[in-house]
Amino acid sequence: MALLEAIGIGKTYPGGVVANDGVNLVIEPGEVHAVVGENGAGKSTLMKILFGIEQPNAGTLLLDSKQVHFSKPREAIDAGIGMVFQHFSLVPSFSVYENVVLGSEPRTGIRLDRNKAIAEVQALSDKFRLKVDPLPPVGSLPVGQQQRVEILKALYRNARILILDEPTAVLAPQEVQELFVAIRSLVAQGKTVIFIAHKLPEVLEISNSITVMRQGKTVGQVKTKEVTEKSLAAMMVGREVSLRVERKPTEQTERVASVSGLRIVNARGTEVVAGLDLNVYAGEIVGLVGVEGNGQAETLEAIAGLRHVAAGDIVVANQNAGPLTVLQRRGLGLASIPEDRIAEGLSTGSTVAENLVATRLNDSRYVRGGLLDLKAIKANALRLIEQFSIRVGGPGSAVGTLSGGNMQKVVVARELSEQPKLLLVNQPTRGVDLGATQFIWRTITDARDKGAAVLLSSADLSELLALSDRLLVLYRGKIVAAFLNTPDLTPETLGTYMLGLSTQTADEMQAALK
Amino acid sequence: MSNIPAIDRNSRFKTIRREVGRAVGALAIALLVTFIVVLLTSKAPLDAITQLLTAPASKPRTIGLWLDDVAKLTITGLAFSLVFQARQFAMGVQGQVYIGALAASYVALSPLGASWAGIPLGITAAMLAGAIYGFLPGIAKAKLGANEIVSSLMLNYIAIEVCNFLVRTSLPKPQAGVLTTNDFPDSAVFPQLIKLEGLNVTRLDLGLVFALVAVLVVWFALYRTSWGLKLRLVGHNARFAEYSGIKATFIMVSAMTASGALGGLLGSMFVQGQGYGKLTVLFEGGLAFEGILVAIVARSRPLAVPVVALFYGYLRQGAQLMNIRTDVPAEVIGVVTAIIILLVSSSFSLNFITRLFKRSPSPSVAPAAVGGAAK
Repeated sequence: MALLEAIGIGKTYPGGVVANDGVNLVIEPGEVHAVVGENGAGKSTLMKILFGIEQPNAGTLLLDSKQVHFSKPREAIDAGIGMVFQHFSLVPSFSVYENVVLGSEPRTGIRLDRNKAIAEVQALSDKFRLKVDPLPPVGSLPVGQQQRVEILKALYRNARILILDEPTAVLAPQEVQELFVAIRSLVAQGKTVIFIAHKLPEVLEISNSITVMRQGKTVGQVKTKEVTEKSLAAMMVGREVSLRVERKPTEQTERVASVSGLRIVNARGTEVVAGLDLNVYAGEIVGLVGVEGNGQAETLEAIAGLRHVAAGDIVVANQNAGPLTVLQRRGLGLASIPEDRIAEGLSTGSTVAENLVATRLNDSRYVRGGLLDLKAIKANALRLIEQFSIRVGGPGSAVGTLSGGNMQKVVVARELSEQPKLLLVNQPTRGVDLGATQFIWRTITDARDKGAAVLLSSADLSELLALSDRLLVLYRGKIVAAFLNTPDLTPETLGTYMLGLSTQTADEMQAALK
Repeated sequence: MSNIPAIDRNSRFKTIRREVGRAVGALAIALLVTFIVVLLTSKAPLDAITQLLTAPASKPRTIGLWLDDVAKLTITGLAFSLVFQARQFAMGVQGQVYIGALAASYVALSPLGASWAGIPLGITAAMLAGAIYGFLPGIAKAKLGANEIVSSLMLNYIAIEVCNFLVRTSLPKPQAGVLTTNDFPDSAVFPQLIKLEGLNVTRLDLGLVFALVAVLVVWFALYRTSWGLKLRLVGHNARFAEYSGIKATFIMVSAMTASGALGGLLGSMFVQGQGYGKLTVLFEGGLAFEGILVAIVARSRPLAVPVVALFYGYLRQGAQLMNIRTDVPAEVIGVVTAIIILLVSSSFSLNFITRLFKRSPSPSVAPAAVGGAAK
């Protein structure tokens, strides 16, 4: 008997966007059920309906074969449903246990029973193998542990069904494994997990059954044992897809950028980049490999001119970039796709057209005598929307109304509308669906083929291995290993260096350092 | 491709319709509450309510008073809109009004004031003084990290008291002890717009023209210049602006300076207008701050500012006339203001009201409104 069932769910947003159209979902008790689909396929909407954030226009929900209706999350929580969002809702300055019990605290009289709260949180954490210290403030924890706090929060409220919305998007490979351990332990103890994801290998590893969604409809429900990555991908996008990227041979002799002796100290006074040397040549993609927080992002920001450099030189196109402003560096042919599109890469309240010219406000094609050439700006937007097949109402639509993949396409379109000399890319496909991922990969490799020097950082090793010509492994702000990307290079090899378990000697690195 | 702009325009109309609906709904609720308050407190409630709703439009003179208020509310609304669009919460319009008025008064009371230059020079001096006064909290934030809300509010007090002090001491006045300066020469006072036999529309002066011009200038600056686009980008997402190579601090300071110039202009419109024609202590009567309401309801859109000012000015005038003619004090308008701000700045919508009345489930309002519930 199904634990939770959604039958014929329909949801149309005001404005006419049909997010769900006759969606069916059957969740068996004690299983890990993955819901996969491209961005905009309606997964998030469906989950919001299950959790009572959105109300469906059509269809019914059955919990334990009884019809239920959640008009707000509180009712879903009371019915035993918990949800962990991609963007956590935690109070950073509160401790772990305070966050977990917040809203349903154990009390003695009117006082919070601190010891009991700590003990309960500790017990939950032990029981479900969600290892986290209850005492430190949440803000001081890495993302993976914050996620555990979110899961504990749901469990503390007696969730039987746990919805995880793209839980792996923010995690490093090791943390993903730890999360999977916890999920298995949850299921072993009778919980049911609904897992929303993009990355198919993860889905195949963790789930028992899979529901595939496409364009607001359910394409089908399958047993994980019966599908392969390829057949699943085809179901998702409705056609066969190739997960490989073709690259042309290029002449990699012209040095476009070099960094020497780079040191970066962050706001808290910690040294995050400690004497880094690297060169990037035209026509190659250099992958920066590392567990997040080992200096990759800071290095890219320093090259883009967005971060103060404590020591060292950065040369772009034979010019010392040290004293140059962001715009001057862009003038040298630098383009950059930042890590977090919403926080840094876009202005979600502005229109698509405005976002697409934001980096070119000193360009006489769009601005003359301080006045905007609205016609040219609109024409530019229409051209890029077409060229990068961005799904949007029009150039005047606010970027915030787009799906994640289409937002990322706006960033990519802006940065690659003109062939760059040096392209900095950080997490180009995080939280982006398969179709858009392929498109973005091809766009980046096209830029490389046409002679751009590319520095790529990504938490996704398969992405780095698919795209890079050379790979540099960073550990605590230093390069500890360098590889030419050959077919026999495996994620496991990279992993041992990423975790600082071993370090190459200078001679070993020499060949791949150039 | 050809149908895209049509969709675009369609959604824009929808947004406008929704926003207007919200504002009107908020107004209706606010008035309803006001009526209840008046019913409970007044001895002649019907009379009071009639005064509130009809008095401003009853005579040419009151229409003049109303439209004069609208001009001033428009300018302060624009000044706040400018800084709000850049996401700066500078509260300095009041101080800029006093400093601007002071500068205009010095020009008007000097020999220059008696010449043709009295009006243009007075306005220029007022705008310059206001701009400098707007620049101060901006530069203090950029260089010293001083919170603009605190510094601009403090500067307001300084301006008011400096004005107060100068009026009481060194500025020429008709006799010792009065709290006003000498009347400005006619050449330094804005001419009346309409002078008809028997129709005494006293207050309506050149200020209304300045207000309309200012609406167009601010709209043009925000939506047709690269400075305006940069300003809006900084307001939406300062980190993105920095990443794009926009100098966010320059934009921030310049927005506060430009807003200051508008504040200064308003100062000149007060003292050089038909309403005063001289400098008086505390002449502004708290009007500058009402620009916050206008800007919030207009969603900081310059073209919406005069429309909002028109409605709000009417209520404001109605309340004052009600104060004079009935037993209900003008402060009742504070109830209206508070409720409108509360409703418009929260995620209130018309669906919310319908949902209040029927407890049955209704479709959620907008995806944006959901964020809060997502906790």
